Amino acid sequence: MAEDSKPFLKLVSDEDSTTMQQDKGLQMLFPEPYMAPWLRACRRIEGAGYGEAVTRAYERHGIACAQAIGPDAAIDLADAVSAVAIKSGRKAAETLCEAAAMTARRLGELPRFRNWLSLMQRFAAMAPESAWVVLQRMKFLLGQLNVSALESWLLAGVRLAGGDSERRYAFFTMENPDAERWLLREAGDLVFADVERRMKAYLAALFGIRVPMVEPSASAPEASRRRSSFGAGIIRLPQSYPGYRGQRCEDVFRAALAHAGAHMTYGGPRYPIGQLKPLQVSLVSLIEDARVERLAMRDFPGLARLWLPFHIAQASGAETAPSLFARLSRALIDPDFHDPSAWVRKGREMFNDLGGELDNPAMSRHIGNLLGNDLGQMRVQFNAKTYVVEPPYRDDNMGLWDFGEENTVDEEVEVVLDSARLEQRDDQEPDREREEEEEEPQDDSESAPLARETLADQGIPVARYPEFDYQTGRERSEWTTVVEYDPPAGAPQLVPRILERHAALANRISGLIRSARVSRAQRLKRQPDGEALDLDACIEAAVSLRRGEMPDTRVYQRMERRQRDLAVQVVLDVSQSTADQVPGSGSTILDLEREATVLLAHAMAELGDPFAISAFCSNGREEVRYTRIKEFERSFATEAHARLAGLAPAYSTRMGAALRHAAADLQRQRSYRRLVLLLTDGEPSDVDCPERRYLIEDARRAIHGLAARGIDVFCVALGRGHEEALNRVFGRRNLLHIDRIERLPEKLPLLYMRLTA
Amino acid sequence: MTSTTDSGSLDAYRIAEEPYYRPTGDEVALYEAAYAGRLPMMLKGPTGCGKTRFIEHMAWRLGRPLITVSCHEDMTASDLVGRYLLEPEGTVWHDGPLTRAVRFGAICYLDEIVEARQDTTVVIHSLTDDRRVLPLEKKNELVTAHPDFQLVISYNPGYQSVLKDLKESTKQRFCALDFRYPNAAIEVEIVAREAGLDPQQAAKVVRIAERSRNLRGHGLEEGASTRMLIHAGKLVARGVPLGEACEIALVLPITDDPDMRDALGHAIAASL
Repeated sequence: MAEDSKPFLKLVSDEDSTTMQQDKGLQMLFPEPYMAPWLRACRRIEGAGYGEAVTRAYERHGIACAQAIGPDAAIDLADAVSAVAIKSGRKAAETLCEAAAMTARRLGELPRFRNWLSLMQRFAAMAPESAWVVLQRMKFLLGQLNVSALESWLLAGVRLAGGDSERRYAFFTMENPDAERWLLREAGDLVFADVERRMKAYLAALFGIRVPMVEPSASAPEASRRRSSFGAGIIRLPQSYPGYRGQRCEDVFRAALAHAGAHMTYGGPRYPIGQLKPLQVSLVSLIEDARVERLAMRDFPGLARLWLPFHIAQASGAETAPSLFARLSRALIDPDFHDPSAWVRKGREMFNDLGGELDNPAMSRHIGNLLGNDLGQMRVQFNAKTYVVEPPYRDDNMGLWDFGEENTVDEEVEVVLDSARLEQRDDQEPDREREEEEEEPQDDSESAPLARETLADQGIPVARYPEFDYQTGRERSEWTTVVEYDPPAGAPQLVPRILERHAALANRISGLIRSARVSRAQRLKRQPDGEALDLDACIEAAVSLRRGEMPDTRVYQRMERRQRDLAVQVVLDVSQSTADQVPGSGSTILDLEREATVLLAHAMAELGDPFAISAFCSNGREEVRYTRIKEFERSFATEAHARLAGLAPAYSTRMGAALRHAAADLQRQRSYRRLVLLLTDGEPSDVDCPERRYLIEDARRAIHGLAARGIDVFCVALGRGHEEALNRVFGRRNLLHIDRIERLPEKLPLLYMRLTA
Repeated sequence: MTSTTDSGSLDAYRIAEEPYYRPTGDEVALYEAAYAGRLPMMLKGPTGCGKTRFIEHMAWRLGRPLITVSCHEDMTASDLVGRYLLEPEGTVWHDGPLTRAVRFGAICYLDEIVEARQDTTVVIHSLTDDRRVLPLEKKNELVTAHPDFQLVISYNPGYQSVLKDLKESTKQRFCALDFRYPNAAIEVEIVAREAGLDPQQAAKVVRIAERSRNLRGHGLEEGASTRMLIHAGKLVARGVPLGEACEIALVLPITDDPDMRDALGHAIAASL
């Protein structure tokens, strides 16, 4: 295992002065489950003999990929580098690394990056001589095309050349003017991302369905990548439907979503797959498609106008399974369609005869089975591998079937399952320990950087603060030690997911902020000077004069825009008690703190207020653990997301020391108003302080100290039971109790805005 | 301008014809009970769901004059209670709408109360507890409420502005009725009645409204209100095709976002 660390050590030993930083950075980029695979990938590339340049490029740009979109990208890159090196040579492999780093930054998310990687591998196999030219131009190409358009363009080039490598080369170096023309055409293609927002709104408006929509995964079979798919609260859509352009293309997306929505609205539970043959599965699915569409059209007659134009099957032609299927589909939706095939007519009659049972999903199964038997007797061959559902707006039917096994848990469902997996990872302590054991020898192999690494894992004592003893009425200097920890990085996707889940609220917050920001300036009345007279004040002044009183001379009004000048430090209590379940919500207190923080950060970022987020817990006075999640000068981006996701509850609540430490950062902010916003679920306490009042008084003292330095502290208390103590610490005015903790995520941002208005 | 000290002026605030209101629950009985006890009422609910129509209907039913004040952010306490104005013979006190209602026994309806500044809203405090008096500080007078007087406010939680909200001490003085958009069957009845439309057409309009309400919070601040449906219905009743009527009455007014317009437009097309 010690060998594993070779490239890694080499990497850090190149620049001695910055080893420590790099080292720490690397640990951040490749948190525990990823470090070993990354090191293995480095070793593999090095061992494969592609040469020093490729190895170096992989190490350097792999890190850049990890920085941009996470460790998986860097690890996946290794396979692609190998494949490209074998097909197209070292130069291409080296260029691939460089292009990958750029692409990772540009695409910004793993699934698309993976699509790109797999595309590059396929391309290197198809056009080995041209791979490095294309890779060199990748920045330009991705500036014009998205990944699916790039694929079309590359294929266009390969097809045009017709197997002639010189012509291919001419195309991809853009010497052939056709290359330019095709590029323009591909760039103009409408892809789903262009219309995603309106399509989501369309589905929401029609059926009230709001689910994430993603691209089919690159590993899915070709047939299902060309069709939409739904299931497990997610809809997959191809980025484009080849052959449809412009408005027509929008219509396919719309038709596909309306169809998936119809399944989700009118469909029954999944059919057990049982012993059904592929032919029967396809037929039952086809009938079910027609059934839910018929139901949807009963409620939304206009959908017929959307769907019908896509049914273009002709009544003539060979009686092959795909042709018959497309004709049956059409016969079931299009009353004016007449088909001579007895089988199609029988299907339509059965379907119409059972019209009264339209609400019963079993009907599809019944008809599908009968028709399947007929087809068997007609000896019509059916090839499940090449079968693609027609018309194109229909889905691949995977969402209709229950395959019994948990085989759906492949990469495809990753997006949905990630959060669950995150929790599992926490639970898989034994696994993690095993991995740590594997890494252990490294630590012992006298490698200085790694030794320091371990230290970072244990936390770095950064400051000592006094603590107040109310019994003596004095502060004991240097009594507590604040130790800063890097939290284990969690899955950064958690944050976008939280925002997605609370989309309505996040939108509302954005809207409120926008209207507050661009709203009319405030009118200030009764001013000593200003651009207009305040009529009320004038009348009063005149009245006073007549009465012989001294008038108020502030008779002007003016408009003024209030400037915000405010810096906020959010401090989260992550003591052990935050692991408690909140009754009725299925989440822990920490989960809700996290969600609330995400929404709050969203609000603060929109407002443009500088803010920082940190978390604390304590294990005695010598170990007040403090974690910086987001610092003032950084943006609330992937790194902060990962840290926030990685927070885990532990230990106690030594509030005073944490507040003093938080204030030290805030102190440096040059804002008119500085605010510490503390989220806690309990009162100050710690294992080494049996006397309840001691830490309460210390926290109170800390807040007085902060106030003297011009820092306000506001506390949001979760749950009841500590009113007395917290009132004592913060004072009633600077404290808000939230009884129903499950509502925290929606309350906190609004509270913040009210607090800082 | 004349001094408004004669009670006869309240006649202008009496409602002669029955305003159409279709109850969706037992709100009429609840309100009558609240009025019998002269309890201050708060009507909550999204815009265009019938709050104002309801209070007009109740004023007519109870035979009381109704003084409506639309609150706005520049409204001061004197806009409510009154002020001294200069007239040739000297300064003369003019009662504000609230004072007039208090003196002569009307139902005073403060529409969109949160729009008013918070210092303005506190003038209603003494009227909304057992004192039922209105102190006119500047005039040095304490007006005791007429036995028929009742205060009603409307309050849209949420989408005004988070920066504005009722003080807790104000909220807690009121009983509240929560208004929603009525369920489909009732809404069809309302649209048919108000717009003079046949129920089948009205039902289509209501189905379409459902589409835009699905987008509430997902691109739209608020879905189409009952009031908008009536507008659409009136257009249809005058011969405008349903699709176009919905476009100009339901889609264009509520959003300028091209994506939302597109989505709504197509969702409406699907419903026709």
